[in-house]
Amino acid sequence: MTSRREFLKVTGAAGTGLMLGLYLEAKPRPGEMPPAAFQPNAFLAIRPDGTARITVPKAEMGQGVRTALPLALAEELDLDWAKIEVVNAQPGPDFKAMQTGGSTSVSTTWDALRRAGATAREMLKAAAAAQWKVSPAQCRTEQGFVLGPDGRKLGYGALAEAAAKQPVPKEAPLKKPADYRLVGKRTPRFDGPAIVTGKAIFGLDVRRPGQRFAAVLRCAVVGGQPKAWDEAKAKAVKGVKAVVKVPTGLAVIADSTWAAFKGRDALAATTAWEEGAARAFNSAGLEAKMRTALTGPADDARREGDAGKALKAAAKVLEAEYSFPYQAHATVEPMNATAAVSATGAEMWVGSQSANRAHERAAAALGLKPEQLKVTVPLIGGGFGRRLGTDFSTEAAQVAKAAGGGPVQVVWDREDDLRHDLHHPATLHHLRAGLDAAGTLTAWAHRIAGPAVLRSWIGGQKAPSQAATETNGAYDIPYAIPAIAVDFAEVDAPTPLGWWRGIQVVPNVFARECFLDEVAHTLGRDPLQFRLDLLSDRGKVKFGRDEADIRRLKKVLEVAAAKAGWGRKLPAGHGLGLACHAYDGRTYAAEVAEVSVLKGQLKIHKVTCAVDCGLAVNPAGLEAQVEGGIAFGLSALFSQITWEKGSTVQTGYHDFPVLRMADMPLIETHVIPSPEAPSGMGEPPVPVAIPAVLNAVFAATGKRIRKLPLDQQLA
Amino acid sequence: MPTYQLTVNGRGRTVEADADTPLLWVLRDTLGLTGTKFGCGQGVCGACTIHLDGQAVKSCQTSLKEAAGHAVVTVEGLSRDGSHPVQKAWIAEDVAQCGYCQPGMIMSAAALLKHKAHPTDHDIDEAFADHVCRCGTYPRIRKAVKRAAGGVK
Repeated sequence: MTSRREFLKVTGAAGTGLMLGLYLEAKPRPGEMPPAAFQPNAFLAIRPDGTARITVPKAEMGQGVRTALPLALAEELDLDWAKIEVVNAQPGPDFKAMQTGGSTSVSTTWDALRRAGATAREMLKAAAAAQWKVSPAQCRTEQGFVLGPDGRKLGYGALAEAAAKQPVPKEAPLKKPADYRLVGKRTPRFDGPAIVTGKAIFGLDVRRPGQRFAAVLRCAVVGGQPKAWDEAKAKAVKGVKAVVKVPTGLAVIADSTWAAFKGRDALAATTAWEEGAARAFNSAGLEAKMRTALTGPADDARREGDAGKALKAAAKVLEAEYSFPYQAHATVEPMNATAAVSATGAEMWVGSQSANRAHERAAAALGLKPEQLKVTVPLIGGGFGRRLGTDFSTEAAQVAKAAGGGPVQVVWDREDDLRHDLHHPATLHHLRAGLDAAGTLTAWAHRIAGPAVLRSWIGGQKAPSQAATETNGAYDIPYAIPAIAVDFAEVDAPTPLGWWRGIQVVPNVFARECFLDEVAHTLGRDPLQFRLDLLSDRGKVKFGRDEADIRRLKKVLEVAAAKAGWGRKLPAGHGLGLACHAYDGRTYAAEVAEVSVLKGQLKIHKVTCAVDCGLAVNPAGLEAQVEGGIAFGLSALFSQITWEKGSTVQTGYHDFPVLRMADMPLIETHVIPSPEAPSGMGEPPVPVAIPAVLNAVFAATGKRIRKLPLDQQLA
Repeated sequence: MPTYQLTVNGRGRTVEADADTPLLWVLRDTLGLTGTKFGCGQGVCGACTIHLDGQAVKSCQTSLKEAAGHAVVTVEGLSRDGSHPVQKAWIAEDVAQCGYCQPGMIMSAAALLKHKAHPTDHDIDEAFADHVCRCGTYPRIRKAVKRAAGGVK
């Protein structure tokens, strides 16, 4: 019955105005019973002064949730956007669904936020109607006011107390999209003014009275531990207060970040390490194992028809190997967390994409009950999946506990951040395409070998969904091919792995879309028309967990190609390339890249992108995600993490390059108008960018790039 | 410990710290000016960019001793109320995504426009060559610099 009582009127003390609680995600987590009684997990408060406070249960890391989520609510409520205050939720019994990832924040909250807004609007109208002795149907709302017949009007603030006494309507009508005033319009980022004045508070900017700073000396080899050290050397550094052993290494606690870093460096010179088994791990060895796995046993992710038989029967078989390296998140704000332990409990400040897990695990590390630990989520200086991890927050709890009380901020430096990332793993891909005598694509086989992110993430077990997860972007190949086989051959690696913006879809779509381009060129077919033919006459198609509407994919491909002037004559050394993908079957993206390769120098001039993510709640934020997603994808043309003796070779932005101003192409974004419910845009533009550029490189030079990073391959 | 005199955002400050302490940490940990960000500490990401006597410099590569006696301006001191032409252009172009690198970007933009009222695309590439934005806000930074062009005195 809880599903019917979706909203709860929260009766505050007199003078607090109208408060509504709402439950944003009705699905309980695995192993958790649905709540017996209604428990709100997001709040709307309209104060007597007319301001509205909205509590957002998702972390802001640049993807715009602190703008887009309040927009949905403000739209239905006809709030005055200038009078909105947005606060971040705190993990705990009220907020159990704070996980921010998978490009799902808008899609999972959109309905509930709109209905909450509509409910509050009806209660405010009812309060005004009662005061004016008219019917609520004679009233309407606009910009924070209820308007009655004869031009009477009352502000929400003046009505808030009376509205709180109104019954919660069972079903509040939602606006028609044609009546939207905020949704679908370009709304600038809510936090913009705080950011440009330096007032925005990120995790590293947390400052508490008596705060100390800590740096942790970690073994460069994955899983290694210190076996002997001389803390006197660290303590000789001015400002260093203590050295404590924690599970991740040795924490140097000081009265400034700089003193902590200097103390850690002094300590490093005295430390002997037990490096452990991972010392034997290196990139060359992993590559050899992956290549062996390309022909060994594997787990099926998709079987359609008999690809083996179809390949044997084919008039011609094309095959190729594609390679994608380890990658790092490299957020500009390094990992950090602040923890303060007191006699009765603890408080933490963690820029977490997974605040509930960070909360639970830190509480366990502190030996506290979750209710004894309060966690605040400040702004996040780049997440990209890295901050779904709880390693850095648990570590900060351990350091603060060992430090014996008082606030401690644990600061990772750039080298810590790159080395002890939860990396995206390398993969090797073997692709085969069967063609009949007429040049029809009759068979497609895609084998992926590499370490499994999902296994690492869930603590070492093999989940039933492992093959589907690791082949995401490959198993859901959208083209009409009679026989398809996609499988995953797992290879061990000792490094902790995590989710990276675009996840496994990035390498898998790179291999898939480049190899399809090879097939088109081999057949002498235009890569656009070849794809369109393979997408023709298809409606909704189910791929395992996902269902994609192929018509929407075809549409974005047509629009991107038309807007980019596909087929036009280009200067010598220039080329156009394209790629497309239906991300998780929910967001459709196609990109056309224009590049030139002159004297071995690659220049990416422009990327034209068409996207369909359903309703565009905030087009300004959506376009920013397209621009940023493409930049993130293009960075992976140039960057890699490699391993020697169990350590990363790379230690900073100097040897793990990310895209910079001069490398950034022009981006032109076309949003397909859609009546469908909104999906997400954080990740979908990322995977398509790489094959679009590499297919353009082929068009420009005739050189097929199958291995990343590019390095000197074009020289 | 030695003491040093600096002028930060127009105000005289006395700081007691080692001579080699990077200005970045003096600003963030000693003076509580957290608008200047730590990104790499290696001089290659630009998040810590401030003005030293009107020039954009990386505060992680500037020692306290080098800064002593000079005028330091941080993002907090660029204007009293966010009204610097670069800050206004940043809002108008809705530049920021996560926003973490933006104070450094803004300080470089302000220094660039002070010295060159109407920078070319090449000038912009050069001015931001040492900056990293992992969110990929570069196209909007370029637009915002052009919007603010001519407006920085």
